[in-house]
Amino acid sequence: MNLKRISTGILVFTLAGCDKEEQIAFTDSPVIEGYEHPGEVFSIKISRQVPFEEDVQYSADDLEALAISVHSALYGQTYSLTSIGGGVYVDSTLVVAAGDEYTLIFEYNGKAVSAYTYVPLPPQNFTQSVTSIQIEKIEIGSGPPAGGGGFSQPEPIEFKWDNTDESYYLIIVENIESDPEATVDFGDEEPPSFSFRKTPTSSNSEFIQAREFQYYGTHRIILYHVLPDYAALYDDSDNSSLNLTNASGSVTNGYGIFTGMNSDTLYVEVTD
Amino acid sequence: MLQKTHYLIVLGIMFNCFESLSQNTPKKYAFNNPGNVCYFEYLIYAPDGNYSNFLRPHIFVLCNEGEEPAFAYQQDTLKKVHQFYDYMFVYIPNNRKGDAQEKLYCIEALVELITFHFACTRENLFFVIRDPSIVSLGNDPYDLNRIFKETRYTIAMSDTVSLTESFKETKIVYATGKEELGTFYVEPEKTDKQETYEPAVKTRTYFGAPTRFDYTLTGTVTDRSTGESLPFVTVEVAGTSIRTKTNVDGSFSIPKVPTDTNTLVIKYVGYNPELFFLSPTSPAHISVKLSSGRYLQTVQVFGYNEDIVLSDDEDISKIKLTPEKLEKLPSIGERDIMRSFQLMPGISAANESSSGLYVRGGTPDQNLILYDGFTIYHVDHLYGFFSAFNANAIKEVQLYKGGFESRFGGRLSSVTEITGKDGNHKKFNMGADISLLSTNFWMEIPAGDKFTSVVTFRRSYQGFIYNTVFDKFNTSDETEAQPQGPGPQSTQTDVKSFFYDLNAKATYSFSRKDKISLSFYNGTDKLDNSSSFQAPSFGGSTSSFGVSSIDLTRYGNIGMSLKWSRNWTDRIYSNTVVSYSNYYSNRDRTQQRTFVNDDGTDDTTKTGIIETNNLQDYSLRSDFQWNTANFSTMEAGIFATFYDISYTYSQNDTTTVLDKHDQGLLAGGYLQNKFKFWDDKIQLIPGARVSYYNITNDFYLEPRLSFSVKMTKKLSVVASTGKFYQFANRVTREDILSGSKDFWLLSDGQSIPVSSAIHYIAGITYGLPKYLFSVEGFYKTTSDITEYSLRFNPSPDDVSYSENFFTGSGYAKGIEFLAQKRGGKINGWVSYTLSEAKNKFDVYSDEYYYSGYNSTHEFKAVAMYSYKRWDFSATWIYATGRPYTAPSGAYTIELLDGTTQDFFTVIDKNSIRLPDYHRMDISANYKLLGGAKGEKKRLEIGYLGFSIFNLYNRTNVWYKEYLIESGQIIETDVNYLGITPNITLSLKLR
Repeated sequence: MNLKRISTGILVFTLAGCDKEEQIAFTDSPVIEGYEHPGEVFSIKISRQVPFEEDVQYSADDLEALAISVHSALYGQTYSLTSIGGGVYVDSTLVVAAGDEYTLIFEYNGKAVSAYTYVPLPPQNFTQSVTSIQIEKIEIGSGPPAGGGGFSQPEPIEFKWDNTDESYYLIIVENIESDPEATVDFGDEEPPSFSFRKTPTSSNSEFIQAREFQYYGTHRIILYHVLPDYAALYDDSDNSSLNLTNASGSVTNGYGIFTGMNSDTLYVEVTD
Repeated sequence: MLQKTHYLIVLGIMFNCFESLSQNTPKKYAFNNPGNVCYFEYLIYAPDGNYSNFLRPHIFVLCNEGEEPAFAYQQDTLKKVHQFYDYMFVYIPNNRKGDAQEKLYCIEALVELITFHFACTRENLFFVIRDPSIVSLGNDPYDLNRIFKETRYTIAMSDTVSLTESFKETKIVYATGKEELGTFYVEPEKTDKQETYEPAVKTRTYFGAPTRFDYTLTGTVTDRSTGESLPFVTVEVAGTSIRTKTNVDGSFSIPKVPTDTNTLVIKYVGYNPELFFLSPTSPAHISVKLSSGRYLQTVQVFGYNEDIVLSDDEDISKIKLTPEKLEKLPSIGERDIMRSFQLMPGISAANESSSGLYVRGGTPDQNLILYDGFTIYHVDHLYGFFSAFNANAIKEVQLYKGGFESRFGGRLSSVTEITGKDGNHKKFNMGADISLLSTNFWMEIPAGDKFTSVVTFRRSYQGFIYNTVFDKFNTSDETEAQPQGPGPQSTQTDVKSFFYDLNAKATYSFSRKDKISLSFYNGTDKLDNSSSFQAPSFGGSTSSFGVSSIDLTRYGNIGMSLKWSRNWTDRIYSNTVVSYSNYYSNRDRTQQRTFVNDDGTDDTTKTGIIETNNLQDYSLRSDFQWNTANFSTMEAGIFATFYDISYTYSQNDTTTVLDKHDQGLLAGGYLQNKFKFWDDKIQLIPGARVSYYNITNDFYLEPRLSFSVKMTKKLSVVASTGKFYQFANRVTREDILSGSKDFWLLSDGQSIPVSSAIHYIAGITYGLPKYLFSVEGFYKTTSDITEYSLRFNPSPDDVSYSENFFTGSGYAKGIEFLAQKRGGKINGWVSYTLSEAKNKFDVYSDEYYYSGYNSTHEFKAVAMYSYKRWDFSATWIYATGRPYTAPSGAYTIELLDGTTQDFFTVIDKNSIRLPDYHRMDISANYKLLGGAKGEKKRLEIGYLGFSIFNLYNRTNVWYKEYLIESGQIIETDVNYLGITPNITLSLKLR
């Protein structure tokens, strides 16, 4: 039948006319990692991207020998950073201070890379509802504790701070014991990390439930006052071709994070 | 170059086809064998093309001596007179020598043979004698009136006027078909002929002189079996270009019927074409009944005619579909209207994960979906794999691919107008379908002769197909970095996902003039991939602690409408709809910790993402249609919609990141006029629509124009253009794990501007009795379209979400080819679309890039074959791979808590394409019959269907995922469905 022959004709032709895959372009732009915390020496780390294609051409720039300068608004001075290996650059004379603003400039792959950040003020009036909590150890297979005395959960601990301008805060909890005992017998399972974090928030309080503490001992509760570009990192992890876009960031002609932060610390004792 | 070659090939193919196809030409027969005294060859010509119906008047023409019948046929002008459209013409040679007696010797025998022994009596047999030697003898010297009602002697065959007047027909009543409920299967004859014509169920009942001329006729068209009114049915006056369509209530009005003895041809997709013979005794309002496809071997997606003239050639870019025969097409779970449209040219078929229609480069939200007058904002179930429309509840669907009329507005690309079933008018009926995806139940309850109602309900169950699709989304690695709850992890994943939809409609007809109907629809998906952990409460304590990881999405649409339609006079019709529609989407991907204290109080904290979108649409619209003159129909209307749309995005129960709440009023009116000139061969529809939008406090004018010319009976040329605005936008967040990707937001005139489009369309249609060919080209520009990305757009000073609405523009152009074979044992169609759709958003690039769903080449083939109780079908789809964006590189950043996060840098947006998409589906349905075995005619009570989706298990890539592992980017293909079989059992009472 006529139509069938026709359709085969169209088909063969159509298949032959497919588009060829284009080459994937790769631009060698630097990746900056810089967290500027008051009291610490100014430091950043520069690295290269992992290429998608194997045979890409990197620029001739030497990661250990870049001419990086940073301008501090507070001191009104420009500093030249020194490479200390591993892509890390420092200036031991520049100590990060709250309220200072930094502008980073260097040349990479023929382009001027720049980034700007400032250091926010430390959190104000960081308080906790209790300083210690008692958690009963849960043993697998042992069942409820004998005696029928009851099993009680302590109230969650509430942390508060001032936040009038809805800026971003992040809580990180670290167990500082050298060899802490777990609150739950994990048996053969891999024990959890000694630290955990909450999600960045723009509110002025955070609860930590008793059972979020997975070890006994002293815990350091660090409240970071972070900038929005840092908070954004937590939300920026798409990995499917349907919605892949360049990661957001405030670095010009480069990628990564260059951000100032400040913190305050409290302690919580978790006991058996 | 490549593109040009494509055009040439397809055009060449179409041209070849034209040549090989038959047309309505006279048929030549031999009377007796050579050597016989009465041997000769004669011609038979039926102006209506039906050569099997002998119950009709005949005009016999005896040629002049030595003249060939073919010459007489050519000379004859009688055959073109409307009045004789239903007649049979017989041209007899005059090759016997001798006197008049001898020349007429064989005529009576021939007439007896052709009329099956005068089966339609001799009252309507006429004779025209052209032999001068007989003519000169004068009035009926040979008792011809014994055989013929009238005999005329004339030399000139062009003496039409006197001949026409002299043939006075006589009214004779023939038997007509009996009314039956349900659809019947008739055992085919053992001796299958190549060409089988449908028997004449109904024949002309009046053969007489007309009494009314150029008069207005109104009527209604209903389904013979259920009594349901049928919308958008083509009603045409046979042999002329005069035609109209029924409105949504199944009524029609023809302002200019030439005579009251004309024949109407009534045609509707999925139904047998029907003839209606007008007579002076016909009422001014007629009632036509169509029977659904007893002899129909084809799923007609185009509403074109079977054999007489083209019917839909004046409507550009329109596709019509009735679910009546839809089960013949392969389906993955259920009969699917949207998926069937995707087999037509210009509509993308390569998106398995979207039931929404990508029409000519447009996105699904640019397609207006009206269901019984209310707008539906969400069209799919289960991540888009199935459409939300239950075929059992739907009577008819019309899709306008572009250039649509002024009565539609508010969308840039296309319109899908769905008419729900009213329900059986005659008897209670019910049925159920069960497939590997869902169960589906329906009921039709009439009460009296004025009230009808229908209820359908469908619900998925966690069968094989549901789980296959669900797992596609939920086996991916969860990227939650949050620590889980402590203790003995007796985590339970109790899957409670499902979808359902419910349609209900009640209709009350007060009189022939007034009809009221209430229609309701609710479709909901609940997708749940949550897991929970509950710490035991030890000892006598009543306190407990629970951690649950919630991944719950619930989305759907509720809509209802109250419609009042009224025929004010034969020429004025109005339709008023009050409606409400609500789209909701609630997405909760959080970690929830609940602590129940000893005193029974509980504390709950939530972290994660909570997203809700709620759209409410309150609308009122009123449409008027007024046949102002024989050549003109005016349509006008007013509309008002109040939108209330809210969207919130929270990261935990205390932080709301984005909270938009907009209310807007869109109101306006439209006016258009349908002009028909030159025997209705030219149709011109100028129109305009004006909208006022209170948020921008501005007026929007949308001029539209469409134009069609019937060059010949078979060839039509159509063109249209227009401007289109859109005020409510769906912004798409391609979040794979969420299932719900759509959020509706109202244009605010600033960050989300009112978008607009301009269409230019032109096409040619060539229709033959069994084939249809069409070529259509389109060019479309879009401006101020919005894309959205819910990402932080950070600077050290601010995170601004509102800046994440990006505005851009785009264009789409393409050419579509369709060749369809209708009727016969094997039928179907092939279509090819060549298109390009590009967008430009300054945020991505200053150059145009391919829109993410554009396939350069799309080829689709559909073939159907019927054998006795079996219907077989196969579809094949080929599409160029869709464009996508790949990473060029990646990097990892260590966060403050020591964990790391991966980031990608990307190449130019959509600059590379996935592998080509192709897939074949097949199906076989076996009709289930009631009645006793061996009976020739049995009631169809359902079918048993088998289908295989993706027959050769093609691995079609849906998207790619990227992970960074030990300094390398690992690319993983996420694929669409592989080979998926399905079984459907469908049963009905009648």
